[in-house]
Amino acid sequence: MRILYINNEGGGFADYVTVSEGTTVEQFFKDKMPGRKSTDFLIRVNREPVARDCVLQEGDRVTVTPTKIEGAVT
Amino acid sequence: MEDIKALVRIAGKVQEGLISLRRTRYFELMKRLTSLTDQLQELNAESRKLSVSLMHSWFVAADRCCSRTSRLLSDISHSISQVKQLTEAPQKRAPTLSQVLEELDQVEDEFGSVELEKGENTIFVVTDPITLEDVPLGPFRIQLELGKLGDLYKDRPYRVIALDPNPAATDDNVTHPHVTSQKLCEGDGAAAITASLEQGRLSDFFTMVRSILNTYNPDSAYVSLYDWTGQSCHDCGYTMSSEDTYFCVHCEQDYCSECSTYCRLCEETACLGCSGQCPHCEEMVCRNCISKCSKCEEL
Repeated sequence: MRILYINNEGGGFADYVTVSEGTTVEQFFKDKMPGRKSTDFLIRVNREPVARDCVLQEGDRVTVTPTKIEGAVT
Repeated sequence: MEDIKALVRIAGKVQEGLISLRRTRYFELMKRLTSLTDQLQELNAESRKLSVSLMHSWFVAADRCCSRTSRLLSDISHSISQVKQLTEAPQKRAPTLSQVLEELDQVEDEFGSVELEKGENTIFVVTDPITLEDVPLGPFRIQLELGKLGDLYKDRPYRVIALDPNPAATDDNVTHPHVTSQKLCEGDGAAAITASLEQGRLSDFFTMVRSILNTYNPDSAYVSLYDWTGQSCHDCGYTMSSEDTYFCVHCEQDYCSECSTYCRLCEETACLGCSGQCPHCEEMVCRNCISKCSKCEEL
């Protein structure tokens, strides 16, 4: 099934990705952000905070935004 | 913001701004393409000049053609990357009014409220009070200026305003290690912030700005938190940063550059009170060395 994945880390991108049926938010995060802690990100599904065992559905909109971003003098 | 009409009005203004941004992006692309085309025409002209030069064995002219061509090729390479920047990620359609409304709803959920400043064409949210490394900086207002969305590629269309400012002691304009004159230095967030504004993802935009405000990068701050409160000169009271502080080894106090010097004999830093001018050679010396000046051998 396809879901819309918006990753606000780095360059920031929004694209449709394919995930298996029954994929939970936690599994999706581990797959897309290997080695990263979910506590360092705001994860929203269809604009709402959800539990880590929430199962993704066809057409869902998943947003991952870091809670810490380093500013810098340009 | 409880009034649904107000929310719809804001959404309408946001949508106008995003449509204007879309138009600006295409205008910017056209400008860059025109510049590239001009450079290619110049390259063509250089090619013809080189041909004529060779026909007449004008090698000095041919050399000039080569250097102009080399410069042009560098310019063309830069122009191509500038054009690709705007063509490789084609802009999606501006979001619909209902999509903008959904964004605003989410902003309200994340921040508690989103407000439209009357007559100012701006929307803003307020962060919780921010404290970094035990330095309280107060809450910040993140203010998006909808009329300036179209200028995204020239200037940032938002300001970050300290509501209970605790600026750096050495610079009143620096209200946060990464904010000066209400402008946020986005650092690692720059590209993602641009993308969020281009696509009308207001919630992501406000959230990312907040994430930057909640993060301290000591390696690239306008004023480091270590220096936030500054230090007072023991003599004149001037507030200075640690880099501008001079420690007198005699009285063991910190002084500013105006109230300190160094001994020309032992080369230690000393305050003006612990040093003096040698009456004979007129050099500044510290109180330990003033007893006998090695240069003039006088007390």
